[in-house]
Amino acid sequence: MIEHALSALGMLLEPARLAALFVGMLVGMTVGMLPGLGGVAAVSMLLPFVYLLDQYAGLAMLLGATAVVYTSDTITSVLVGAPGSPASAPTAIEGHALAKEGHAARALSVGFIASMVGGVIGAIVLTLAIPVAGPIVLALGTAELFMFACVGLYYASSLMGGNVVRGVLVACFGLGVGTIGPAPAAAEFRFTFGQAYLLDGISLTIVALGLFGVAEVLSMLAEGGGISRARVVLTDWGAGAREAWRSRWLILRGALIGVLGGFVPAVGASASTWVAYAHAVRTTRDKSRFGKGEIRGIAAAEGANNATVIADLVPTMLFSVPGGPAAAIFMGALFAFGHYPGPRFVSENPDLMYLIIWSAAIASVLGAIICFAVTPWLARLTQIRFALVAAPLMLVMIVGAYQATNSIGDIALLLLLGLVGWMMKRGGWPRAPALVGFVLAKPMEQYFWLANQLFGWKWLLRPGVLIIGALILVPVAIQLVRWARRRAAGRPAAGVAASDAESATTARGRRAEGRVSTALSAGMLAMFVYALIEVLGFLREARALPMFAIVPGVALAAIALARDVWAGHWRPDRAGPAAAGERSVVRDELVQFLVLVAYAVGIWAIGFYAATPAYLAWVLIARARMRVRNGVLYGAVLIGAIYALVVLLRSPLPRGALFG
Amino acid sequence: MSHAQMLRTRRRALGAATVAAFAAVAAQPLTASAQYFAGKEIEVVVPFAEGGATDVGAKFLAPFLEKHIAGNPRMRIKTRPGGGSILGANWFEANAKPDGLTILFTTSSTSHPYILGRKEVKYDLAKKRVAYSMAFGPVLYTSPATGVKSVKDLKSPSTQLVYGGIAAAASDLPVLLSFEVLKLDVKAVLGFTGRGPVRLAFERGETNFDSQFTPVFLTQVVPLVESGKAIPLYSGGSLDDNGRMTQRDHVMKDLPSVYEAHKILHGSDPSGPAWDAFQTSAALTFTYGLTAFLHEDTPQAIVDEFNQAVDRINQDAAFHAEAKKVTGGYPLTSGAKAEKPLRAALKPPAPVLAYMKELLASKYNVKF
Repeated sequence: MIEHALSALGMLLEPARLAALFVGMLVGMTVGMLPGLGGVAAVSMLLPFVYLLDQYAGLAMLLGATAVVYTSDTITSVLVGAPGSPASAPTAIEGHALAKEGHAARALSVGFIASMVGGVIGAIVLTLAIPVAGPIVLALGTAELFMFACVGLYYASSLMGGNVVRGVLVACFGLGVGTIGPAPAAAEFRFTFGQAYLLDGISLTIVALGLFGVAEVLSMLAEGGGISRARVVLTDWGAGAREAWRSRWLILRGALIGVLGGFVPAVGASASTWVAYAHAVRTTRDKSRFGKGEIRGIAAAEGANNATVIADLVPTMLFSVPGGPAAAIFMGALFAFGHYPGPRFVSENPDLMYLIIWSAAIASVLGAIICFAVTPWLARLTQIRFALVAAPLMLVMIVGAYQATNSIGDIALLLLLGLVGWMMKRGGWPRAPALVGFVLAKPMEQYFWLANQLFGWKWLLRPGVLIIGALILVPVAIQLVRWARRRAAGRPAAGVAASDAESATTARGRRAEGRVSTALSAGMLAMFVYALIEVLGFLREARALPMFAIVPGVALAAIALARDVWAGHWRPDRAGPAAAGERSVVRDELVQFLVLVAYAVGIWAIGFYAATPAYLAWVLIARARMRVRNGVLYGAVLIGAIYALVVLLRSPLPRGALFG
Repeated sequence: MSHAQMLRTRRRALGAATVAAFAAVAAQPLTASAQYFAGKEIEVVVPFAEGGATDVGAKFLAPFLEKHIAGNPRMRIKTRPGGGSILGANWFEANAKPDGLTILFTTSSTSHPYILGRKEVKYDLAKKRVAYSMAFGPVLYTSPATGVKSVKDLKSPSTQLVYGGIAAAASDLPVLLSFEVLKLDVKAVLGFTGRGPVRLAFERGETNFDSQFTPVFLTQVVPLVESGKAIPLYSGGSLDDNGRMTQRDHVMKDLPSVYEAHKILHGSDPSGPAWDAFQTSAALTFTYGLTAFLHEDTPQAIVDEFNQAVDRINQDAAFHAEAKKVTGGYPLTSGAKAEKPLRAALKPPAPVLAYMKELLASKYNVKF
């Protein structure tokens, strides 16, 4: 074993292969920082070049990219608040809140260190697990996988925030969105409105970008100054390192949760990141900081997502069943080099195995170091005017969303979910449960029906199911006992505040938020009622999971609406003419959204390259008041950069449907 | 076109002409069409995700097509996933031109919704020209726990046969139809996300009757067969000269086909609507499993270019060496050979279609 490990290291250390690893890392880091583009984009961007190299260099390059994507995405998540990749949404919630308070460096250094540890743990597990992982993967049957999804949903309940009605309602919304598309157990397509676009369901990237990214960028466009209200101070690196050390066991547990997520085929980094984040919430005594900048949330989440992408290689290499989308492309590359992953592949190619492990480990460590090195430079971006950063971010998000299916539906859906995400943010609703519900809807439904078809209801008695069920029931029982005792003692329950909403500070601002919230409640109610009518016509197997989301959804939306109406937000203002308060922020952001809709219609009608200059002119010259010459120059640079990105992705941009 | 490109093109054209002269096929109008594809790029649209079997297949064929199509065009593979391949095929219908420069490379996931008349389908596949096609054969195997050691035991397995699949009205259809042809009592558990997870369920013992495509069977299941955990039973078979699925699979020559399995189990040739429906669906899924379609008005001269390239690829020893590794060793089929039977399968007679829909509706709850 050790001799193979050493000879593989020797092979990797050859200059050409090391250079390939570095190129992979650079691409991975850049792509990780661009919101909406994750591991899949990085790997597919590199794929054509991989075939020009020998297999060792080629695979090192791919692993260099995958291992660092979830390290560098921390930067965007913390500094901008838009998740650099779907799996770093928890980091965006907690890290961005910290950055606004001037603690960006602490958030970043914990994120980088946790990412590095997660990557290294992933690599170690890969080494140790290969001989024993086969039985583990095989022990996880469909019934057990369903139970794991339930554990995830149970954990998600910790993310509900202070307002349980809104928290559960938002989770139901996420579950409901997750049921769009084919029903796994019945030959039926749900909520597709006759659109081929919706036949496969909705892409996770678009949901994550829509709920989190668009709202942040709208705020940036509407607001004036830099990202942090105070200057981003990047001096307390040491504090971050100490923080990471304090959270070392949490990081480790996060990484192990991530590894488990990687073992299970088709459970991506997003699901395990949320589970790790929820685990952090559960194990932190003072939960009041969650949603408002809790460093432990970052530690757990970043430990998990890096571990997952590397542990994804376990089912990929042992069974030829890719653990995640990036692993699927990696498997394609292995095919191209004439390798067919499977038990034989692992035993016959120990050198290649160890080269893969070394590449992942080295890239994880170097990636974190490079992130530390470049962050001070990137942090300066937060000093310049928002619109100048927001414009390229918006373009990249549109390109990123368009990667899902290369149709205009991607952009329309991004904006629709962006509107929902913005309303949630401004209306004071938590957003995290929606993403968790969305991520878990598919596996829950699929494994439930598979287990039911395979075993009837007898699957409930399988030992694995009972053990995992105990993982949920025991803590629930303990909590109930504690709650009852506390009630008996007359003490208030400790609040969990994992809502990422910013509260308005003025009465006027609160009223504007109340209106947004009322509109959102009404919209949710209308949507759930429509879905309820639609779902009644479905087959039994296609109906169960949507009902599970819709029935409580209707009730909770009605309650939420009643509360909003009771609070009287809809009444006209009586407080006199508005000062420059939160109200105008809401209106400004709404204007930005409408401009964005106009831009999207423009993309559809006259094409990306014709509509973008107009949009940039509005953002840069009309809004940010750049000098015309500078604005044109900057806009040209941005469009050039997008063009280069699109060439690298080998993906076209929308051409005009009407003209162009 | 840059100067360097022009030089390269000229050199290639010259090279092609020289080869043609030496190969004594100069009678063919090679030079004219060599100029047609020279320096051009062919976009191969794969309506599935990157890294999937179809993408891998397209990438495997690309260098051989670049080498053997006169004029050596560049092949660019573009994945357009979504809608279970319908989005990519719809895109092809809306955007391809009759110039041979855009190809739709796809599977029965595109043709089954077409013949079953899904309303999202906007493409008319039966009208398209065929550039080239490759077979993709299935192997059915069982677990020793069923007590089944060969086809003849399928009549009386010791436990319920359980088959794992993805969706009835898609690539599982011909396998499900083979159960009807052979009159097997198989419980089909549908809703898996792919054939890989189904294979894991077989290894876990959750299912005991499985089907995998040949390349996967050879690399992933053969080790199970060797360790006594799986027993291969039958293959899909291949078409004879009359367009009937009576022949053994080209690669799995040791295994009986569905046709032979029927003879073993029931002592007669299969016939009737189930058999006809199976042949239709099997032609789409197996015999022409991976097919490259061209715009319907593509000039015959361009289609002929692809036909000739297929003939040359099939004579290339390097292709067969690679194909053995990637597909198990199926040769390429030219459009000239594939087009007629493929179009027939894409326009099945009304009774066959009615049988398929009736089976899907009554047994698998598919709504039409």
